[in-house]
Formats: sequence, structure tokens, C-alpha cells
Amino acid sequence: MKNYIALATLFITFSCANESSPTIDKLNFTRIYDNNKFNTSYYPIDMRQTSDGGYLILGGRRLKDSNFTGTYIMKVDEFGVFVSDQEVDSKYINPVGQLLEVSGKYYFFCMTSVGLQTQLVELDVNGAITKNTSVSGSYPMVAAQDAATFILLGYDNSTKESVVSLVSTSGSISKSSEFGIGAGDAVEEPIINHFIRTGRQLPFQVGKSASGQYYFNGFYNYTMSLVFTDLTSNNPLGVVQGQQDDGGVSQILSLEGSKFATARFNFGDNYFIPNSTISTTGISSSVDLGGNTVPELTPNSPVKIISTKINSKDMLLYASNTRSKQIAIFGYDKTSGEFKGSHYLGFSNPFEVASIIATTDGGLAICGTTYAAGRFPRICLFKLSQEQVSLSFNK
Amino acid sequence: MKKSLLLLTAILICLGTFGQSRKKPSGFNAKEKAKEQEKFLNKQFWLGFKAGINLSQADPTVRYSILSPTNYPIGTTNKVYDSFNKVGSQASIEVTFYYKGFSFSTQPTYLHSRFTYSNQLTWDNPENAKEQLILNYDNEQKLDYADLPFIIKYDITHNRLRPYVQAGIFYSILINATKSVTVSGQDYASGGTNQFTNEPIIVGAKDLFTNYWGLMAGGGANYNLGNVRLVLDISYRKGMSNIANTKNRYNNDRLSGIGDVQDDTKLNNIVISAGCLFPMRFLSNSFKALDK
Repeated sequence: MKNYIALATLFITFSCANESSPTIDKLNFTRIYDNNKFNTSYYPIDMRQTSDGGYLILGGRRLKDSNFTGTYIMKVDEFGVFVSDQEVDSKYINPVGQLLEVSGKYYFFCMTSVGLQTQLVELDVNGAITKNTSVSGSYPMVAAQDAATFILLGYDNSTKESVVSLVSTSGSISKSSEFGIGAGDAVEEPIINHFIRTGRQLPFQVGKSASGQYYFNGFYNYTMSLVFTDLTSNNPLGVVQGQQDDGGVSQILSLEGSKFATARFNFGDNYFIPNSTISTTGISSSVDLGGNTVPELTPNSPVKIISTKINSKDMLLYASNTRSKQIAIFGYDKTSGEFKGSHYLGFSNPFEVASIIATTDGGLAICGTTYAAGRFPRICLFKLSQEQVSLSFNK
Repeated sequence: MKKSLLLLTAILICLGTFGQSRKKPSGFNAKEKAKEQEKFLNKQFWLGFKAGINLSQADPTVRYSILSPTNYPIGTTNKVYDSFNKVGSQASIEVTFYYKGFSFSTQPTYLHSRFTYSNQLTWDNPENAKEQLILNYDNEQKLDYADLPFIIKYDITHNRLRPYVQAGIFYSILINATKSVTVSGQDYASGGTNQFTNEPIIVGAKDLFTNYWGLMAGGGANYNLGNVRLVLDISYRKGMSNIANTKNRYNNDRLSGIGDVQDDTKLNNIVISAGCLFPMRFLSNSFKALDK
């Protein structure tokens, strides 16, 4: 009898351990942020984890009266539950990532619908717009952050130049260089199609390498190119040329010196090069970077790369879209480039990656687009616990 | 499992048939018989087999949803559970110790239970009535558990027909779980009313559930047929802990991809079983049935 009572007590203890708790609920979740309007569509651009543990998502939305996309900002809590959103006035269009953070405030670039003037928008932790500043230039493409300075890649359609600028939080430009894309409308066409989202979304990127040089991945000299510059002249220090808009670099992450974690595309094929040495001077070709071919990805698939610690090891994570409409994450050892595992997200409906970040609890958050009911573009957010991540990338 | 249970039943029936024959022993006087009868009735082990059907009710305690609405109430995403509408089945081996009207019983049970829930989502355009899509998600959950109960019974009468009441506690160990989701709907935006039903998505869902415990109460009746005891048993089982695996709640991409996630749920069942029990003491050729 005593044994029975002891056994029952043990069972009850184990059973109670399965009750849900806020601690578990924020470690691991999947959310699809649905709007029941038939003709609305939202897509995420970038995401940040905020100081309150929640997530701030910068997105775009379809506008009825513009060829460009409108701006959408959403705040969700640490459990991924929707808190608030705002469809920013349609006079602010073409929002671009990254979502930047300086001193607890969040920033992104967009442009005005009239005049196509670049704007720097400041947000608070809840996603409310606190300031809006005009910045010289037009057609912002992508931005990055170097401490408290923003690095902005824009396009000047009057001079047909890719423009790299250093922008302060107040919107003033301290340095800028322009790089010609080449003469003729043909070279500009994919850029415009990118902006109005009627064509392929090109993997524009800008940043600063560990060796101190600035770089941008954009159009230069008729080609989608990875261009290195010190922003002192309009002549690049080095160029990794693509194949017009059919080949080039999908994403890079500076590791140290001239070492980069790289992904590239070439006529639909995708290649991952976890530990590549890229010449930051002279002219080279992206094809020469080689890499591991990843045929399960969609043609010219967008790729996001982050560096994070998993199981106390420095790892590189590549997130991209598969032909089976899932989001795939591939893990590589940061030092050796050795493959360490993979993790797939989403099924049944299509899922596409927009952003991947390491969270403060040691897990991962992946933001993307899904198609609710197989047709309505909606923002989705996956949160993976540290335990899940460790299991997936433990080879 | 089913074959093993059938085999065990057959063996038990053979034991009951040959071991409990009604040959009258010589020299068995009335006094000894009464004494033996008292001993037999006051203290006895019973071993037997039961099987039957059950109906299940899923009781959601904390709601979860993959969909986080941005412009409609979160309550719209709540699942609507159906109660006691799907027939499951179970098979048990019963081991009972009877002592002066009380029985202490354990009945390891293989229990297959089923429950269903549904929800409906609508996307529309107030400015254009033709732009409307209604989707219905019909889910059926099948769960297989090995139950380990401890039950105390009290026999109300001590005749050949012995009604009893019972109460107990059980612990259920998850063996398997599958879930099927059928999505159907009406799409009015295709130029007409397009009614469709997709092929069901059937997935193994064992990782989404876990063991649980509960309390049970009920009643039944034993009917002594010779030395074999026929039993009809009805009980209500109240799940006291969560059957959902909280850590793995979102781990099934097939289900989360279409917006399905398991609520924190307690599982209740109405269980009806019938079977037969065999006495384990006084098994000899000279023993005769006692209840008249």
C-alpha cells in the first residue's frame, strides 16, 4: 500500500511538472500574425529583439495607390503575442532594413512618396514613431550599422549611381561615395523592378568589414557586384563581380581580416562558403569563390547569415528558402567551416525567411513571410529555444 | 497487443472452465461448506479481463493559437471542442483483492481514445462581398495510453448479482498519438462559390502529448456464473493534469504550418467495460460454486 502511495505521489509530481508556464512559453513558439482582410498583404523586412524581451518587426504592406510598398511596424511581446501595429502613412514608402538600434531607439530608412526623398525614421521600443528626418538622397536600398553610425546604400536614378553614405542618428551625412551602375535602361531595370517588387528581390547589402573597409553588394559597372571602398573616392578598392543580375553574392558576413562567411548565387544555383577569403582589392569574380552547392534552395534564394554561439562553440547560421517552401537553417563551425546540422521551419503553407537573430536566452528567432490559407501574405515568427538549437546543430 | 489479450482471455476462460468444475466432493458436510464459503467470500483474489468502449472529452485549460490576430479578437481562433462524440476502445487485465465487501483493484488498461475539435477562419473584404474565403479546420485526435489505475470498490450486496461502486486514481502512460486535420472551405473570390475539401493531413503526434494522471469513479455489477464472475463496469475518468507536452507544443511543422497547436488540455472519459473474472484461491477440482 505504501508503495502504491509513493508511486502515486511520484506520478502526480511528474504530471504537475508538465503544466505550462510563462518560462516555457517564451522559449519556444510559432506565430502567424493574421489580418482577416482579404486584400491586405504584409511582409517582414527585419526584426529586433527589444529590451523588454519582445520583438519589433519592420515590414512592408501593399498600397492601393502606389507602385511602391508601404511601411508596416509591428510589436509583439516576449511570447510572440501581437501587441500593436501601425500602417504608417502611405506618404512614407519603400521601407528598408536593417532595423537599426542605437541607445534603446530603433531606426529605419524609407522614402517619401512625393519626391522619393530618403527618410530616417526613429521608433521607440513599442514601435511608435518618435522622429522623422529627411536625409539627402533617394531610393534607399539597404542599411547597416557601425556603432552609432548608419551605413546606407541608396540609388540615385538621376545619375544612375549606387550611393554609399554614412548617416548619423540625426540624419546628417558625414561621408558618401557614388559608384556608377553603367549606362542604359537595361541595367537599371532590375533595380526598379526590385523597388516596385514586380521582379526579383535583389540581395542588396552594405556594411563594414572587420578590416575597416566599407562594402556594398549592389550594382556597379553593369554587374551585381560586391564592392569594397574606403569612402574617400568614387573608385572602388576592390570588386567581386557577378554576372549582371544573374550571379553574384547573396550575403556576406565579415569574420576577421579578409575572411567572410559568404553565400552566392549563379544563374539560379546557390552556394554557401562558410569560411572564404575575399580579396578586398583588385577585381575578382564571385564564381571563383566556389562553395557548397545547395540545390534544395529556391533559385537565387535570399540568404541571411548570422554568427552566434551554440553549445559554447562559435557557429555560423545560414537561413534561406527551400523549394519545398520551408525555411532552412544550416549551421557551420565558424572556424573550420565544417557543417554542423540543419533545422527546417514551416510546412503545409509556404514560408520565406526575412530575418534571423540570436535571442538573449540563447535561442533563435526567425521572422518570415507565410501565406495564410495558402494565399494571404502574413508575417510569421518562430522562436527556438537554446535546447532546440543545440540539438539541431550538434554534429 | 490485441492478439496477446485474446490469448490471455482464452487461457483464463480455460482455467475457469476446467479449474472451477462443479464436482461435488465426497464427505463435504454443510458446516465445512459454510465455513469454506465464508472464507471464500471474505477474502479472494480475482484475475480477469475486460474490454469495452469509451467516450472522451477534451477540456482545454489554457488556450494556445499559432494565429495571433492583428485586427480581430483572439477568441476567434479558439478551438471548439466536441464532447463525448467519438467512440474509443479499451482492454484491461484486472487483478482484484476482495476482502469483506471491499475490493482493491489494479486494472492495467490499453486505452484508445478519440476526440475532435474544429475552428473556422474567414477572410473577407467589406468593400467587395465577392472577396471572401471561409476555411474550416476539422481535427481528430487519437491517443493511445497504457493506464495504471488503483481502484477501491465496495460491493453493495453480496448476492449472485453484486452491484458495486468504485473510486480510484490512475496514471496514464502515453503510447502513441496521431492527429488528422481536414481543411475544407468556401472560396467566393474564384468567380463563383468554390466549395472544396482537401485531403486530410495525418501526422504522428506523440511528441505533442505526454503522460497524465486522473481520478475515477463509477459503478458496475458482478454476476457470479459458477465460479466465473461476469462484470459490467462503468466509470468516469477525470484527467487531473495536462496531456499536452508543453516543451514540444510547436514542434510539429505540419500542424503549426496550418495554424494548429495543442491547447493545455485535460482529458475526461466515460469508460464502459465488460469482462469476466476468475477466483485465484480455492482453485481445485473439489471446489463448488458458492453463490446460488
